[in-house]
Amino acid sequence: MDKNTQTEIFFGPNHPGVPGNYGINYQFEGDTVTSARANAGHLHRGFEKLMEERIWIKNTALVPRICVEEPDINEMVYAMGFEAIGEIEVPRRADYIRSIILELARIQGHIFSIGGNAAGIGQYTVMHWGTLTRDYLLDIFEEITGARVYHIYIRPGGVRQDIEAETFAKILDLMDELENERFPDLEKALFENPNAQKRWQGKAVITKEEAIEMGATGPVLRANGVPHDLRKMMPYAAYDDVEFEVPTGKNGDAWDRIKIARDDMLQSIKIIRQLINKIPDGPVQADLGNGLKYRIPKGDAYVKIESKRGEYGYYMVSDGSLKPYRVHVRGASTPLGLYGVREFLPGTRIADVPVWAKSLGICPPEFDR
Amino acid sequence: MNNNFVKGSWQEILDWAQNKSINMLHYCTGCGAIELPPTMTSRYDMSRFGIGPAATPRQADLLLVTGYLSTKTLRRLVYTYEQMQAPKFVVGFGSCTINGGMYWDSYNTIKQLDKYLPVEMYIAGCMPRPEAILDGLLKLKKMIADGEADGYQRYEENKDFYHQNQEAVLGEVQRTQ
Amino acid sequence: MRNEKDLLQLMNAHFNPLKLEIKREQNVSLEFEKEELIQALSFLKSHSYKHLSTISCVDWLEEGEFELVYHLFSYTDLINISLKTRIEREPGIFQTAKEIWPVAEFYERDIHDFFGVKFKGNDNLEELILENWQEIPPMRKDFDTRKFVNDKFEWRDYNGQKHTD
Repeated sequence: MDKNTQTEIFFGPNHPGVPGNYGINYQFEGDTVTSARANAGHLHRGFEKLMEERIWIKNTALVPRICVEEPDINEMVYAMGFEAIGEIEVPRRADYIRSIILELARIQGHIFSIGGNAAGIGQYTVMHWGTLTRDYLLDIFEEITGARVYHIYIRPGGVRQDIEAETFAKILDLMDELENERFPDLEKALFENPNAQKRWQGKAVITKEEAIEMGATGPVLRANGVPHDLRKMMPYAAYDDVEFEVPTGKNGDAWDRIKIARDDMLQSIKIIRQLINKIPDGPVQADLGNGLKYRIPKGDAYVKIESKRGEYGYYMVSDGSLKPYRVHVRGASTPLGLYGVREFLPGTRIADVPVWAKSLGICPPEFDR
Repeated sequence: MNNNFVKGSWQEILDWAQNKSINMLHYCTGCGAIELPPTMTSRYDMSRFGIGPAATPRQADLLLVTGYLSTKTLRRLVYTYEQMQAPKFVVGFGSCTINGGMYWDSYNTIKQLDKYLPVEMYIAGCMPRPEAILDGLLKLKKMIADGEADGYQRYEENKDFYHQNQEAVLGEVQRTQ
Repeated sequence: MRNEKDLLQLMNAHFNPLKLEIKREQNVSLEFEKEELIQALSFLKSHSYKHLSTISCVDWLEEGEFELVYHLFSYTDLINISLKTRIEREPGIFQTAKEIWPVAEFYERDIHDFFGVKFKGNDNLEELILENWQEIPPMRKDFDTRKFVNDKFEWRDYNGQKHTD
């Protein structure tokens, strides 16, 4: 490092421009970043070791805390892994309810991250609107499950309790309000604003070959025109019964990824309306006996679903006893947060580093575990 | 008027002014920080009570430890606390700061916060709702106005106790003064 | 576009896998000897299996072995493959895969941090997630985590009643 022209600084962990407790150490010359590396591990709690010490049912309370912004995907993948090894059949009504919960979680995650992206370029009005709209969705979650953020609702065999008809009517009213009043305001304030377009167009470009080589999925890959979505390629829960489109972009920059977030939310509203209209009757939990004595045979499975950031998977191994033998968590932004920082951040200007970090959807607790 | 009377009433005015304007350091250390944006924005507005965010430790009064602390973050937090200027307050947030919480048998998180930093009060919950956060911060304002929030003086008086506990967990810690 | 049976026939024709299994729809698992695994990875990458999800490690203490699992996916066949191999626990050394996928360098660094497995050819194996860790690697089955926590940290005293297991 040439001390006369280059300087090294700490960007984070105590910084409003990073998404969470995570740091990037970079060197810069003049106004441009020349080399960078990730400073991860501030959020490490040792989840994989903790899961080996608790019985199967107790882990459903521990698992949502792995990804803080969208906790329901963890419960879903844990239950899917348990059912895959044990070859357990889930009732159809429980599949529909699980899909409704996952789509509501996707909407609240996207609107929060659009607010966070807007705060990164200095538009705080949209950040306030985003946090407020997310609060209305958390009220619906509180009515269904009893808690605002960590629900502990999806568990092996089905869901914890049923949803009543009045709650479905409230969900449909909220979807109408979002589509007719809140999203048009957001369009006018953020998406038609020429300053926001200039800040985001052409920045933080990741091409199709680089994304596939790295293992990145979700909006990062779809912004290059590739319509790959695990809900259509390997359908799970009730996604084979609904019709929806997969939004894509053209250039692979930050502007395309934020537009994909908005289009994903509109498709989710369409999916929720179809699911509520077609939901069948029946039980919501398969009969597995006493919860404190769950046991599945020896085996292993790798299961994955499509979260709002990409592919999210667990590799679970069971040895036939009352506790899991090994659970390995694969977060959606693991390659971006650790490898992408070293390879793709050099060359950006310092004022664009928050745009890079927030528009790629880096969520530190999923790779720190 | 003797010296004690002047000093006593001047301190009361300072305490009254301090409680009307608290700057909170915007550092999200753990998973409890996801309930801070709803508290700060328009639904459960926190700035009508005079509490607002600050960017750097030199400009902040209140350090809100939101949730669990891994040993890597504890080292950075000790550096941050020693850079803040007196008077300064620490509030523990969530049950992980009280007795370890859900990660009580984890090899990487600490189990009690008040062995490493002087804590004024704890807010219970996993995680606390925005109304519970506002309730806790209003009690903190009352404590400051009555002159009972003296954590920074306890840290100066019992420096050896705190330094010994920090070094037992972290190894060697750099001190600036 | 192959289905699961065509894929297993293709692998059987070119290598000697120890075990082949169709687990569920769109999920296949194969086990190899440790000398053949890196060639099998290159072969699969050139036959449309371009997406590496992650590399996992499982500690089988009674058998004295570590098991490494590589998870691959193809966007044309839409099949998930898990490739497994076993190595001896005592020296714990294996060949690196970073010539085929550069991102594997970080997955191997993570496995070195938590299990102590060394990878020949990867010279960037310093600490990634832990900091100044002095004991044995924590995810091994002979690391007793509750005893470590009882020795290092102190529990809160509730009127003389200490925390119990």
